[in-house]
Order: sequence, then structure tokens, then C-alpha cells
Amino acid sequence: MAIATLKRIDENRLEVPGDYKPGMRTRGIIYVDKVLEGALEPGAIEQVADVASLPGIVGASLAMPDIHTGYGFPIGGVAAFDIKEGVISPGGVGYDINCGVRLLRSNLRRDFLFPKMKELTGLLYNEIPSGVGSKGRIRLGPADAGKVLLKGARWAVEKGYGELSDLERIESGGYLEGADPSLISKKAYDRGEAQQGTLGSGNHFLEVQYVDQIYDEAAAGALGLFEEQVTVMIHTGSRGFGHQVCTDFLEVMGKAARKYGIELPDRELACAPFHSPEAQDYFAAMKAAANYAWANRQCLMHWTREVFMSMLGLSPKDLGMSLVYDVAHNVAKIEEHQVNGQKRELIVHRKGSTRAFPPGHPELPAVYRDLGQPVLIPGDMGRASFVLVGTEKAMLETFGSTCHGAGRMLSRHQAIRQAKGRAIWREMEDRGIIVRSAGRETLAEEMPEAYKDISNVVDVVHRAGISRKVARLRPMGVIKG
Amino acid sequence: MDFEVLDIAGDAGIRAYGKSCGEAFVNAGIGMYSLITDMDKIREKQDLTVEAEGDSLESLLVNFLNELVCQFDTNGFIGKRIRMDAFIPSRSSFLRARVYGEEFDPERHERKLLIKAATYHDIKVEEVNGTWEAAVVFDI
Repeated sequence: MAIATLKRIDENRLEVPGDYKPGMRTRGIIYVDKVLEGALEPGAIEQVADVASLPGIVGASLAMPDIHTGYGFPIGGVAAFDIKEGVISPGGVGYDINCGVRLLRSNLRRDFLFPKMKELTGLLYNEIPSGVGSKGRIRLGPADAGKVLLKGARWAVEKGYGELSDLERIESGGYLEGADPSLISKKAYDRGEAQQGTLGSGNHFLEVQYVDQIYDEAAAGALGLFEEQVTVMIHTGSRGFGHQVCTDFLEVMGKAARKYGIELPDRELACAPFHSPEAQDYFAAMKAAANYAWANRQCLMHWTREVFMSMLGLSPKDLGMSLVYDVAHNVAKIEEHQVNGQKRELIVHRKGSTRAFPPGHPELPAVYRDLGQPVLIPGDMGRASFVLVGTEKAMLETFGSTCHGAGRMLSRHQAIRQAKGRAIWREMEDRGIIVRSAGRETLAEEMPEAYKDISNVVDVVHRAGISRKVARLRPMGVIKG
Repeated sequence: MDFEVLDIAGDAGIRAYGKSCGEAFVNAGIGMYSLITDMDKIREKQDLTVEAEGDSLESLLVNFLNELVCQFDTNGFIGKRIRMDAFIPSRSSFLRARVYGEEFDPERHERKLLIKAATYHDIKVEEVNGTWEAAVVFDI
């Protein structure tokens, strides 16, 4: 098998040599140790090599330890392109534009909440719209839709969903400048009309957790985290709105690639020179979808906070539920990076990868300037999730990027087969985790064994030094779509 | 069986068959609906017309299925039966289909997979020994 031709660089990295596949302009680097190397899919390696063949790629075609086969680009992929000679590709962002994670802290302790988890999970399930065919309680008329696309989470705060102070704890301040609502198709507007403020389905979730281990006391303190503390994690994206933007622009970019004479090993890699009108249109539409997603997570956080307050009869001050941070793990951004000692402006694609900027980076908010960027890595619903921080080494090696999650190990069908005759909800309850889901088969598809062990994934990025472990979170109550 | 479900790590796909290319497309559409819900509970209460274009049979299939995804997401419309009214396979291909079904009701209908889009990943539309096959993978 082709894996034999990969070269091990060190304990945590494998090289996909530049002659692995014809047409490669650079090599690939996959962050995996010996354990995760065993789970590498040949298709995903091919995709790392395919991305290396795109025009204007700078540095290596990178993949994080949660790599698996995606569409065109691998999931867990990072690729940076020169802003003058390089391309932008919707496939390098993914269908769920600005899929991401946010983490909320609280003043509550686990032992206080534990006996109330059944009621709380039920209430959250009722209040947070989730699942196939669900509609949110917001209807975006044309005027509001335009504002969502331009202002992102800021729109939500202006509508009363949350506090102004939330915004500085969101990557990019909760919105990307330069979104252009006029480039959005009617189909995308229609799909997005009733889906603002909805969780979706699949691997998206809302989870009540507690901090069970702290690896770095000072960093945890700076993030407002302490042992046995209750936290909430929300994982969702731009819903049907973003999916339609991606679908629309794959068509546009497929035509553009032909027009500009770019040879594509796979149609899902459709791309265009960054300065072409087609690319600029995609970039402005992608930003609109990213902003839709930030507004979405902001609304969901607000309702979560309301459920906690009304059920527990606590004031906002006593509950102390506030935003730790919010990261985007499917997005493309213009960033400045040092390449071979030179400052370069790059368009960095992260598809299933989290930004991990180091302490002192000018793009970080004042509250986290000395700490480095918080990195939020969700695991499966039974084991754990992690909080890390960005490092200087990530800046040097991975364009300031790290992993984004566990990555699936079993297909949905395999998972359903393995779950036959089992009551997953009861197994979870026996482990002290209350789960609720809209879909009958969702819990089987999403059972812990269907995923790689998140601890292995996080250990690789920690050991490789591209982010640093701060805390581990354990699930108490999970809502799935 | 007019279609089979493709088991792919992380996502799901459909391989559909037909005596004609158009019939394989119809079965791909029904196959996709069967990933979203249990088709036995869907009734034919409304209908709508969808049209799609493409620069190849593959893109015609992707655009057709994404039209159905969009109708489901926007109006909650889910089909039980599809009738192909026009099918012009050429360099600039086109189809028009009538879809019979109803509005999805999360209380009454089973919720299975949420399909984000039909993709070009490993897509295949071809005639094998007189039978047309259409294989497509969905982003879930």
C-alpha cells in the first residue's frame, strides 16, 4: 500500500513526498504518531497530495491528526496560498462554512448540577431547535438577513441575544469584514430563512460538561476555568445557508478553473486565482456564510443561558455563564505569515482545522493577548473534549493551525450495526451522561466507539508543540440533532 | 432493488440503477429521500416541478439532487415518487421532473440523515451492460 512510501519525519509527523503523485508542487505533512498512522485512510493521503498540486501553494500541504477523507480537500487539512499567485477553493473550506465550536463557562459546580441533569437536558432539548427538518424560532426577513450576513454575532447581540462583551471572545470578533449579501443566491436566502438559531444534525451538538482535569493552572485561570466547574460546548455552523453558498460556488469555481486553465485532479477541488472576480465573489459570499454561523452560535448560547437561569432560578451574576471563546474550524482567511524569513500575505484554508495563534499575536483580543488563542476541541459524546492554547511553534510550522476534533472511525452503517440490540442512551446514562436526540439512529451513529479517541489526537498536537493542553472536559448532558 | 446505500466513513451515498439514464436519476432521488426519512410514511399529497442543468451527466445529477435538497431545506418538501418529464443528456444537459410527496413533519416522519449537499466525490454515471448506474456521495 501507498503508506509505505510515506516518510516518518519524527514521532509526530509523516511526510508525503513531493513525488508521491504527479503534479505535486510541494510535499505534504501529516501530523500523526504511530498509533494514529494505523487509522490513516489511503483516500485522505491522496487528497493531501492533490491539494499540493494546486497553484500558488506555500509551504507544505498539511493535515492534522484528525485527518480523514473529505471532498477534494481532506478533513483536518490546512493549505496556504500566495495571495498574488495562489488560489482560493470552496472545497478547502467545506460545505459547512464556519462550522465551529464555542465554550461557555459558569459559576456552577458539577455536584450541584448532577442530580438535575435529566430535567436540564430535557429543557435544553425542548428550547434548542435541532434535528432533520427542524425550524428555528427566528424568521429572517430580507432586512434582517442582510444584517446577519454583514454583522454576524454583532447582529445577534444587537437583537438582544447576548452581551457586547461576548464579541471580543469570538474569533475575528464574531464577523468577517467584506461580506457581500448581493452575491448570495435566492436559494441560499431561502434555505437560511428559518435555520438561524438551529443546531442541525449529524455530529453537531450542545453539551453540558464539567472540567475534570487541568494541565496548566495559569492558563486555565486566565480562561476562567477551574476543576469540577460546569461548562457548555456548542458545535454547529452556517446550516443550509452555508451549504447552499458552497454548492452555488462549486459550480462557479468549476467553470472558473477551466477558464483560467487550472487542471484539477478532482472536481471538488474547484478553485480560481485569488484575484479573479470569481474568487473574490466566493470570498465575499463565504464571509457572509461565516457571519451567519457566528450569529447562529450566539443565538444558541443566549437560549442556553436562559434555560439555565429559569430552571435554576439564578440571576445572570450568580450563574456567571459567559463566553470563554468561539472558534471557526471551516474557513479561509487572509493572514500574514513568515515564510523562509519573509513576511507574506497568504490565503489560509482550514477545513476541519482550528486556528492556534500564539501569545502576542495582534489578531488576538486584549483579554487573551498574553495567553495565546484558546483552542476548543470537541470529542465524542462519551469521552472528553479539550481546551488548548495556540503556540509560536504553530506559527512556524502550520500557519498557526491545529486539529479540530476526533474524526470518525466507523461509518454510520457500521456504527448502527454495532449498536443493534443496545440502548445507547442507557449505556450513556450508566456512565453518568444524559443524552437526547431528535433522530432515532443518531445516537447509534454518534456513539463513542464510532470515533477515534480524542485524547490520542490532542496528545499529538500537544507533543508536536502546535498547541498546548490546558483542560479536559467531560460530558454530563448531550443534545444531538 | 433500484438503488443501494453506499457505506462511507463519515458520510453516505447512493448507487442507483435504471433501464435509462433518466430512470437511474429518478432512483437516485428516491434513494436520497430514503436516507432522510422512512419512505413508507411519506404520502403523495402535493407535487412540484424541478429543473436542473449541467455541463455533463455528472453535474446534471449533482444539480438535480441539490435541487431536491434545497426544496427539502426551504419548504420541507419531501418526495415519494419522481416522474421524469424531460431528460436531455448532451453537453449542455437539462432535465425537468415532477416530484410527488408532502411537507415533512418531524412529529410524524422519521428523522434520519441531514443531507448538506450532493457532491462530485467518486461520482459515476455510466451504462454497464445495458443498465445505467448513477453513484453519488452526500455530505452529511
